[in-house]
Amino acid sequence: MRQTPLLAAALGAATALTSPAFAQTVLRLDEVAVGELDPAKASDYADSILMFNVYDTLVLPTQGAPGHDPHLATSWEVDGSSYTFTLRDDVTFQSGNPFTAADVVYSLERMQALGQGLSYLFGGVTAEAVDDTTVRFDLGEPYAPFIASLVRLPIVDSALIEANATADDEWGESFLSAHGAGSGAYTVTSHNPQEETVMAVNSDYFLPIDEAAPDEVRLRYGLEGATVRTLLAQGEHDIASQWLPPEVIRALAEDGAQLLTESGTGAFYIKLNTARAPLDDVDCRLALASAFDYATALQMVAITDDVAAGSASTGAIPVGMFGANPAEDVLTRDLDAARAYLADCPTPPADWNLEISWIAEVPLEERFALLMQANFAELGISSSIETLPWALFTERVASPENTPHISQIFANAVTGDPDTLLYSMYHSSVPGTWQSPEYLDDPEVDAALEAGRRGPSEAERDTAYSALNARLMDLAPTIYAYDRQSVFAASNRVSVPALSDPAKAFGMDGMGFTFRLMEMTEE
Amino acid sequence: MSPVIRILARRFGISLIVLVGVSMLIFAIARIIPGDPARIALGPNATAEQVAAIRAEMHLDEGILAQYGYFVRDVLRGDLGTSLYTNRPVTFDIRQFLPATLELVILAGILMVGIGLPLGILAARYRGRWPDHLIRVLTLLTVSAPSFVWAVILMLIFAFYLPLFPVAGRLSDSYDITRVTGFLTVDTILAGNWGAFVDALHHLILPSVALALSGIGQAARLTRANMVETYDKPYIEMAQAYGFFPSRIARSYAFKPSLIPSLTIIGLDFAAMLGNAFLVEAVFAWPGLSRYGVAVILRKDLNAIMGTVLVIALTFIVVNIVVDLLIAFLNPRIRHSTRGAAS
Repeated sequence: MRQTPLLAAALGAATALTSPAFAQTVLRLDEVAVGELDPAKASDYADSILMFNVYDTLVLPTQGAPGHDPHLATSWEVDGSSYTFTLRDDVTFQSGNPFTAADVVYSLERMQALGQGLSYLFGGVTAEAVDDTTVRFDLGEPYAPFIASLVRLPIVDSALIEANATADDEWGESFLSAHGAGSGAYTVTSHNPQEETVMAVNSDYFLPIDEAAPDEVRLRYGLEGATVRTLLAQGEHDIASQWLPPEVIRALAEDGAQLLTESGTGAFYIKLNTARAPLDDVDCRLALASAFDYATALQMVAITDDVAAGSASTGAIPVGMFGANPAEDVLTRDLDAARAYLADCPTPPADWNLEISWIAEVPLEERFALLMQANFAELGISSSIETLPWALFTERVASPENTPHISQIFANAVTGDPDTLLYSMYHSSVPGTWQSPEYLDDPEVDAALEAGRRGPSEAERDTAYSALNARLMDLAPTIYAYDRQSVFAASNRVSVPALSDPAKAFGMDGMGFTFRLMEMTEE
Repeated sequence: MSPVIRILARRFGISLIVLVGVSMLIFAIARIIPGDPARIALGPNATAEQVAAIRAEMHLDEGILAQYGYFVRDVLRGDLGTSLYTNRPVTFDIRQFLPATLELVILAGILMVGIGLPLGILAARYRGRWPDHLIRVLTLLTVSAPSFVWAVILMLIFAFYLPLFPVAGRLSDSYDITRVTGFLTVDTILAGNWGAFVDALHHLILPSVALALSGIGQAARLTRANMVETYDKPYIEMAQAYGFFPSRIARSYAFKPSLIPSLTIIGLDFAAMLGNAFLVEAVFAWPGLSRYGVAVILRKDLNAIMGTVLVIALTFIVVNIVVDLLIAFLNPRIRHSTRGAAS
């Protein structure tokens, strides 16, 4: 009997020694450098992935449907341009500090003070903490996309930042460039903006996290295509970035990788300079829009027979957004219509010499430039192709006379709302940026954009954007080449419902990479 | 004053002028590159007000001479400004990224000298015979392809088809080493973690071989050519006539004088690797200064461009001084010269 405890202890020790250690699951993915950890400066895709996992927001886009669900907030009320949110009272930051309305106010003010990233979404907005669980925003004037904008207002731990701020750095920029200060489902373990950010699951997160979610995430930056392919083949990588060349993604798919997709927030736009002859005439522009070979354009971005980095365009607004045309009304090439428009164009084809530009950093655009050159040549229109580095392009578009006749742009709605996609492209008050090389100045377009902003109901917004879409089709300031779809090659060790099941998609760039909703599986 | 001290003093003086010249040149060139650095840094969605605020903060709205004045003032305070690419102080970035590149370049340099010179000696020693032919063909192969091509080839063979080496990074995820010097081979030893040391070395091999291959070929061919020329000298014939062993002739009489012209080129090659490493760093996801340098140039990150270029220029200068001292050590005519002439 006296030996029993000893025996039990020995057995226990032996069991402990021989039992396999708890297997920690690690998710490895990559993005282009550099990963910006400070949420007030976040704007790129990598920054968004970090932001959505280290920080939380008051609302989240509804999965698989339009609209937004409460997240850190439990509910909200709208009164004209005033929004009052009731907040959860059971949330703590990763530091252990409680989350209160004061943190929401601080997060907004910090973002506005730094004036970087997507802070322009909150220009003129003020916030007030009514009590610990109530915060009121005053917008000054009605702005229907405000709820959507809130997915870009990550809430930071004001007490932690203030504790790490200095007289020269009152907003704690130095601290937040290397550390997290959020309440998100993942905490930052280490961060090197050129190498990788390592994150670990936050076991104190206020929502349940599935056991199959990755315990650790390693977000690497700036991997080359050959490197990613080798890493995936060796089982040392899980999700490749969308920026791989299509042929590499295709090769990975042939090697057995699954293809994940994210769509509904942007498109590939071919911009026509409406301030320069001959494209200052609508018939001339419509001739080009009709002559463009939309089907070939889609083939050029095809990855496999079933997956492409784009889907057929139906108009100015990507399918899935307010005001989009039905998915089946795809744009097609119509050479007869093109010739008819050309007949009404005041400049005879022989006198055209179009400058078709492409951004040097985006080699795919050169192929589209060649496609356009061939398409337009069938109408007897001559053109020259010009390569522009991004930096030079942004300078050239500052004046209409220096802006090429044709520019190519990938654009997306940073909040998932059409306002953030369309207003900066087509409103007459914002010409001369990379988004608006059309120099469009049309009162009807302006009115529709403003009506879309005002709302207030979703039905009214849908009507306004439908009218806008129709008007933009009539004016043809742009060739709406295809709706963009991001494609990611991934190993079969990971399951990502938000990037593989349309019913669970967020309809917002980067949010599909919410790690707590992923599942690591045995291959 | 000893000739070596004179060489050093003169070299330091010239180096200072070179550094100031480089800083002025790069300062001007960086501002001629098209594009607004503030606009590039803030991204495509930034408003005109945001861009203007950053421009004012960086003094970009002032004249170029005033901007250079601010730059010199800050450099003298040890402040290279903030990188618009990483949003961190440039000095912090350099401290973080330089050791990774130096570690890579130093091993590549050791391989270049440790393999290239013996191959050159061997080829010269057996000139006109099969070892010479074999070495010349092999070295021609290594110099004919740039290092990034070798990087991809080595990765394909030794990581993809034969998974013998790691593909990316400096250390396996399972090791967590406190960074003291930033040189992982040193930090792992300081931590007493031999497994991590071997792992760090394992990660270093493919990228450093890729970086060194072309230098190995060049060092071998250069040494061979110089030694073959030396073998034609009368004093070698005399040594042969005395019946000295070929290995002694090669080692004591042919190699040393042949090394002097090779050293200058090898030194320059070594320093140039610091700048040329960026594609190898990109292929092997090596978080080094070369990759950082290219990224900041593409983003027109003015402060970071200046910082990176100055560090690379400083490395060139240091390597040149070391080479001069080595040449002075090897060449008694310089070492004992009253004029203190350097190469």
